[in-house]
Amino acid sequence: MKRKINISIIALCMMMTNVFAGTIRVVTTTQDLKSIAELIGGNKIDAFGIATGYQNPHFVDPKPSYIVKLSNADVFVTVGLDLETGWSPPLLNSSRNPKIQKGSPGYVDASIGVTLQQVPSSINRGEGDIHIYGNPHYWLDPMNGKQIAKNICDGLSRVSPENKTFFEANLKTFDETIDQKLKIWNAQMLKYKGSKVIAYHNEWCYFENRFGLQIVDFLEPKPGIPPTPAQLVKIIGEVKSNSIKVIISSPYFTTSSSDVVAKQTGAKVLTLATSVGAFDQIKNYYDVFDYNIAQLIAALK
Amino acid sequence: MIRQLFLFILCLVLFHRATAQVESTAADSLLLLQIQNQMAQTNPTPAPVQQRTSPSTNPDISVIGDFRGIYQSNYTRNFDANMHETEFSFQSTVDPYAKADFFYSVSRDAHTGEFKGEIEEGYLTTLSLPAHLQLKAGKFKQQFGRINSVHPHALAFVDMPNAYVRFFGEEGLNDEGFSLSWLLPNHSFFQELTVEETDGPRDNPSFARSVKNHYQTTGRFKNFWDLSDNATLEFGLSAATGANITEHTTNVGAVDLTYKWKPVKFNTYKSFTFQNEFYYSNAKFDSSTVNALGFYSLINVQVSKRSFVTARYDYTNKPTSAQFVEQAVSATLGWYATEFQKIELQGKYTTANESDEANNFEKQVYQVFLRWIFVIGTHGAHQY
Repeated sequence: MKRKINISIIALCMMMTNVFAGTIRVVTTTQDLKSIAELIGGNKIDAFGIATGYQNPHFVDPKPSYIVKLSNADVFVTVGLDLETGWSPPLLNSSRNPKIQKGSPGYVDASIGVTLQQVPSSINRGEGDIHIYGNPHYWLDPMNGKQIAKNICDGLSRVSPENKTFFEANLKTFDETIDQKLKIWNAQMLKYKGSKVIAYHNEWCYFENRFGLQIVDFLEPKPGIPPTPAQLVKIIGEVKSNSIKVIISSPYFTTSSSDVVAKQTGAKVLTLATSVGAFDQIKNYYDVFDYNIAQLIAALK
Repeated sequence: MIRQLFLFILCLVLFHRATAQVESTAADSLLLLQIQNQMAQTNPTPAPVQQRTSPSTNPDISVIGDFRGIYQSNYTRNFDANMHETEFSFQSTVDPYAKADFFYSVSRDAHTGEFKGEIEEGYLTTLSLPAHLQLKAGKFKQQFGRINSVHPHALAFVDMPNAYVRFFGEEGLNDEGFSLSWLLPNHSFFQELTVEETDGPRDNPSFARSVKNHYQTTGRFKNFWDLSDNATLEFGLSAATGANITEHTTNVGAVDLTYKWKPVKFNTYKSFTFQNEFYYSNAKFDSSTVNALGFYSLINVQVSKRSFVTARYDYTNKPTSAQFVEQAVSATLGWYATEFQKIELQGKYTTANESDEANNFEKQVYQVFLRWIFVIGTHGAHQY
């Protein structure tokens, strides 16, 4: 009798693993990572992104509801560096899920292999919110998107080796799509290479360098410090002397100070997409660049 | 069958140990040979200096300063300025299986006026237990109610609620022992059950460290719902039972309810919190039983990116006297410069039906607190 029960329990467990073997549960910190994970994982994965696309990824509230998602995840994908340092470590610690802890096969640091920009040689909080490893907004260069996709592909293959060829085929398609689209994006931006712009927060350097923009200054006097009247006066002077046409903001910053500069100078405030889902029409990673480039071209014309 | 399996695993482990032993002795003798060769040379070449560019294995270290200026109407000396607390924290993962958190706190002793250091918390937390379990061992702030496990510098007001102080003291429930928490397999909302077995506190108005086998048991059942993207509700039920100073039993129950509104898009600019916590204590003494009640209710509004306003109402008995009734109203203005610095100014009016020692034997007390919190180092995030 006892043996029968044992066998039936084992059978039940096997059935359950079979049921779940179909989909890999992926939790990503941002919507961009979710989009790329979906492009690589296809129907083999079920992905959830924690931060919404219109949210500041530095300041996500570590709600316990995310712990529930993480506790059942097979793979966790993080932008890494110190972007999510204020909220993802306590969530991971409380997840009670050994599969996705740092160093486990299910932990994917998307920044591995990415060439970082603005790596500081010394750290001083007097300079504002300084990122100790370098600027973490690297997904805003589509070439880095390819590296992110590779890291995700590697992670998914570690967890589900039987689907490795499937993921790798999708990675190849992703890389090719990026290459094709990048040619188009570069062609569109060619005319505007070297255009000077102002940005609200220092989060556009990868985008700036890829598409040949030149960010002259930031509305924040120091990263994370809200714009001061003195800084706005300085910016107004810079906009006027450089005939700057565009001030780049992000969905999660109020535009009150950008509007002041715009009013004084005639420059246009552009709220660009920092992530997938920043606006309703941005459904996937490619859309981020399609949208931003279309907006920029319209404003720089 | 099981016994055979066990023996097989044991053999494997022993074999592995044995080979490891052999390898290490081989490595040792190789090392010895190298050392002897080095010593035989007259001019040993210095090893190349490793540039300190690699990440270190030091834990995350931070120091938090809590400086206060106080006005109190119930003393002959009305104004006071003091370095209320200096907290040193060290946090890191231990190995793939656990992490450790240490908080060393230095503050002025209320009686002697001397600076005194103590381990505020020091505990190990497992990261890889099965079945969604997590075990904590060491000295820790117990999971009881909403604010007990929060470090005071993370709260939006300067003083602890009257009910909290009357029931558990300024330091609250903070004891040595084990804590086991279980994340319930509920996929629709967050549910966590925590049970803690501890030594019994040494200095607490409700509980005492028993000389007998009478330990303290604490538990909390936490429920958390996302009402929408922008609004959440937390509901907790807590209980604590243990010996009191007379070696009889005291039971305290708590209910906490917190509604939070924080628009996801502009979460750094606006928020609203409505937080309530009720305590009910049943304490047996030599010849009597006391049932006491205490609660606080607060509203916290983020007015702009950097400014917060908090209003709080306190009501409480004493765990030793249900006749004693103390009420207080307070308002706090908070200015948050960055994540690493904030200033709070709180005005408070307290009234009681009996005068007692804690109020310096006055029934009405006016207080003003100014608190300046500043952090250096890598201080981790706070709980939601």
